[in-house]
Amino acid sequence: MASDERIRDIGLIRRSISRPELGSVFGLIIIVITFMTLTSISGTFGAMWLNPIGIQAWVELAAFVGILAIGASLLMIAGEFDLSMGANIALAGHSFAIFVLFGVPIELAIILTFIELAFLGFIIGVIVVRTGLPSFIVTLAFWFASRGFAVFLSQTFFNQSRLSVKANLKPPPGGGEDPTLIDNIFAFDKAFGVPFDAEVYYFIILVFIVAFITNRTPYGNWIYASGGDPVAARAVGVPVARVKISLFMISTSLACLLGILTVMTSGASDPKAGDFRELHAIAAAVIGGCALTGGYGSVVGAVLGALIFAIASRGINFVPFIDNNLFRVMLGMLILGSALLNQFLRDRIVKG
Amino acid sequence: MIPSIEFRGVSKFFGNIIALKDISFKVFKGEITALLGDNGAGKSTLIKLLSGVHIPSEGEILLSGEPVNFKSPRQAVSAGIGTVYQDLALQPLMSVTRNFFLGREITKGLFLNMPLMNTITKKEMAKLGIDVADPTQPIGTMSGGQRQTLAIARAIYFGANVLILDEPTSALGQKQQLEVLRTIKKVKELGDIAIIFITHNDMHAKLLGDRFAFLNRGKVLAEGSRDEIDMNNLRPLMAGGAELEKLETEFSGR
Repeated sequence: MASDERIRDIGLIRRSISRPELGSVFGLIIIVITFMTLTSISGTFGAMWLNPIGIQAWVELAAFVGILAIGASLLMIAGEFDLSMGANIALAGHSFAIFVLFGVPIELAIILTFIELAFLGFIIGVIVVRTGLPSFIVTLAFWFASRGFAVFLSQTFFNQSRLSVKANLKPPPGGGEDPTLIDNIFAFDKAFGVPFDAEVYYFIILVFIVAFITNRTPYGNWIYASGGDPVAARAVGVPVARVKISLFMISTSLACLLGILTVMTSGASDPKAGDFRELHAIAAAVIGGCALTGGYGSVVGAVLGALIFAIASRGINFVPFIDNNLFRVMLGMLILGSALLNQFLRDRIVKG
Repeated sequence: MIPSIEFRGVSKFFGNIIALKDISFKVFKGEITALLGDNGAGKSTLIKLLSGVHIPSEGEILLSGEPVNFKSPRQAVSAGIGTVYQDLALQPLMSVTRNFFLGREITKGLFLNMPLMNTITKKEMAKLGIDVADPTQPIGTMSGGQRQTLAIARAIYFGANVLILDEPTSALGQKQQLEVLRTIKKVKELGDIAIIFITHNDMHAKLLGDRFAFLNRGKVLAEGSRDEIDMNNLRPLMAGGAELEKLETEFSGR
């Protein structure tokens, strides 16, 4: 058949163009080369790319933003948004700290905080699915409400907005920084003798698990279909509402993980924790090829997006001759450029 | 022979609106029943009754001689009624295979069994005359006719023995229309599927139909097999016989 030839002539190049990560792979290469050049000129190449502390700076940021970007990209693929992620980090941190300060054992406090945040995600999801309001609006409401509620609780019970839990975390029997055995499991700092914060390890593990789920399970299929054409998805039996609710629960649970980890590593819960991180995560997802209209994107792309964001964000500190404020300009252009590139690549797929 | 589907005096009211009134017709397996009617004749209400979206207000629907009462689309699907809607319910950015199995994926443990699903997709599409070289390509790369075939192949694979095709040719170009007509003929040749071909194109109906039913303003104007119906009279029946005559006199009086 004539149409058959058309399918067959799609070669390797066309095929790789149809991967949503493609734009972010280019982006990452460009950003790395750019900052390697810039740091070489400033004589800070070693400080950023070779020195463990320099590497730590951008890797840890990439992990933090990347964990949120996993949730942000999953939601965007399903055609939804979560603006409350950053605020939920503060809510989780404060909830955890309050539980601990009330004398709840740390292990139980962790579980309770996860239940609380997952329940919040469930509520957000149900509101979005049942009312048909755009998730942008619903989660904007929680962007205010979550952080507000966190600070309200800490003010009410402890008369302060920043909660220190350092005294409540007992040092481990064998010495070291991490307080208890479960914390060592949960926040496995320095577990492999590498001086990275726990986020980095969780990030790597989560990326593998989530990338596998999205590509290789029915649930992953349903996420794409829910965002691509929800009516069509429902018509063939995809439980669109349940998929979306579960994704909001994943999103709040990821914020919960970051909230608790932040408290664990710093010994205190800050009401400003996670501020603006939701926008950074969404930026990473967009750079990584997720379509705002849903149905297209990839978690791996979002992860590369988070790396791009982190390298650009921290790298600018190693390049003294460029004004720090220019970073925001650059990031803005980066998002715009990526969105344009990704739209172009996406159109190529539909038009064949 | 027992009809696969029989409508016996089926009516559907929405409040004071009579969408369908006293509809009776039969559909047999291995045959194509062309359901003709203009816009607003009640075709989509009829599809919704068949596919379980609506429940008849009066009369009964018999499936292989047994009265049925679908309360949901899911029930209709599991009873073997497959509906291919005009919009096809496909995901343009997802691959051919993923679209084929969406919502009914084959798994191996927790994970998708992609090799098996790819093979089945290729095989099922080949049965309807489409050779899918690479089922991992997004269906955005397929033609409108091929997508229609995919939607039909999917319905058949998942157990449809009554296939409802809702205006399958109306949104396509000439060449692709023929491609779809060829697909429908292939489905008929499978022998065990009753096809309800809804259209307002009398040419296509004439080409494929074994039986015909004409809907106009919620009523069946005429129903019967190829030899019972005056083939040359298709077009006036479709536009609602008398109305067209009226129009003709109006125009000739000019």
